[in-house]
Amino acid sequence: MIRIEGLSKWFEPPRRPRHLALDDLSLGVGEGEFVSILGPSGCGKSTLLYMVGGFVPPSGGRVVVNGKVVVGPGPDRGPVFQEFALFPWKTVLGNVMYGLLEQGVAKPLAEQKARSLIALVHLDGYEDFYPKQLSGGMKQRVAIARTLAYDPKILLMDEPFGALDAHTRTGLQRELLEIWERARKTVLFVTHSVEEAVFLSDRVIVLTRSPGRLKATIGIDLPRPRQRAELLVDRRYQTLVVEIERLMDTPG
Amino acid sequence: MHARASSPSSFAPLLASIGLLALWELAARLLGITGLPPAYDALRELPAILGDAEALLNIAASLRRMLTGFILALLLAVPVGLCMGRSERLAAAFNPLLMIIYPVPKAALMPIIMLWLGIGDASKTIVITLGVSLPVVYHSYQGARAVEEKLIWSAAAMGMGRAARLWRVVLPAALPQVFVGIRTGLVLALITMVTSEMIARQTGVGSILFNALDMAQYTTVYAMIVIVGLLGFVLDVLIEKLRYSLVQWAEPTHEIAVGTS
Repeated sequence: MIRIEGLSKWFEPPRRPRHLALDDLSLGVGEGEFVSILGPSGCGKSTLLYMVGGFVPPSGGRVVVNGKVVVGPGPDRGPVFQEFALFPWKTVLGNVMYGLLEQGVAKPLAEQKARSLIALVHLDGYEDFYPKQLSGGMKQRVAIARTLAYDPKILLMDEPFGALDAHTRTGLQRELLEIWERARKTVLFVTHSVEEAVFLSDRVIVLTRSPGRLKATIGIDLPRPRQRAELLVDRRYQTLVVEIERLMDTPG
Repeated sequence: MHARASSPSSFAPLLASIGLLALWELAARLLGITGLPPAYDALRELPAILGDAEALLNIAASLRRMLTGFILALLLAVPVGLCMGRSERLAAAFNPLLMIIYPVPKAALMPIIMLWLGIGDASKTIVITLGVSLPVVYHSYQGARAVEEKLIWSAAAMGMGRAARLWRVVLPAALPQVFVGIRTGLVLALITMVTSEMIARQTGVGSILFNALDMAQYTTVYAMIVIVGLLGFVLDVLIEKLRYSLVQWAEPTHEIAVGTS
């Protein structure tokens, strides 16, 4: 589904040495797979996601999605950002409908689809609210619904729960898994939380600190559907978390 | 705005106006300068001016030029500012130019423009357009530059093209800032309107004002100043109403965000 081939990104600030953010990364993601990218801040994990999204051009290497080289953004890859990035001048309904209308879906149908997605993320009753009237967790739910609306095959999630408090965060992780288990989209999920990565993913990719290189790939073969309460006392989950944390702490 | 617009703030401007008039009246009576007639005398002129068909035609001519210049400026300056805000190359090219033109009083260009286009409507309208354009370009530029990149990316991922993103994402996102420029532009439109009519006296509020000044009809001069002030006030209220209806979504809200998750 996604093939990342020798991908590098460097920045060349004027009058300063070139900064290498991501160094020669190769990686494959299968259809319907949930893969997390884990790494310390500054490892270029978000940049990696932006290049898969086509928002930022790579300096070297390429990204191939469904056999086609990525040259720009497209509705086959839907982003969800930590900053929510909702259109503040649109209501909840307007935000969720936006992509559908953009795809040429007729308004009544778009509205009907949007309403059912708003219900899916448990925001029914808030259709006419503006983003500024919502809490962080609600905003991120709207953002997820807005991206799901145009039905991208791939979800690109850039630390989507990073700005939320712990309680909201675990709630949204659970909801995301429920949605994913039904729709089975391919997900590339960037995070710096080991627990979050292990809880959600089929596979965890660990990157090194700046520049980001592939450090390890860990398969997470915990049974699904996963329940947080069960996992927390599950020996395998605990071992995985501790192992990955140790891996991240070792230099190189 | 919504909560505060009730009793105290609707009284405040009225009170301030009465205070200013009282001060003016007092100063005129105490100083006794011929160039400063009492407020009462000037205000008494208002019905005569506003009842005079010729004066009304002049005011209408001024307003027509001002609004034409103003709207032309918006059509020109908003797209330029937005493009500058989203393209570093364009910004680098236009910025030095703006820095040079911004502080130049646009009315100072009036004589040159009159050489090219004569003393009629065209010259005056162009000077007004110039005057309004700069703050609108500047604030549109600042607004467009501050638009969160990820907002634009989100639209791009939906399949929206570059031009559409400028029009449908950058413009609405920058609109609160754009309106700051529009409001400043309105004031400049009034100023350039009056000065352009002072330089090329044919018709308009400015020509009445300065002709009266030449003939030492001071009460008329002051009455015209009051009229210009009222025009500015009414237009500003209209712009504010428009702004509020368009960018209400950006107003700080006193409501506490609903829910906790």
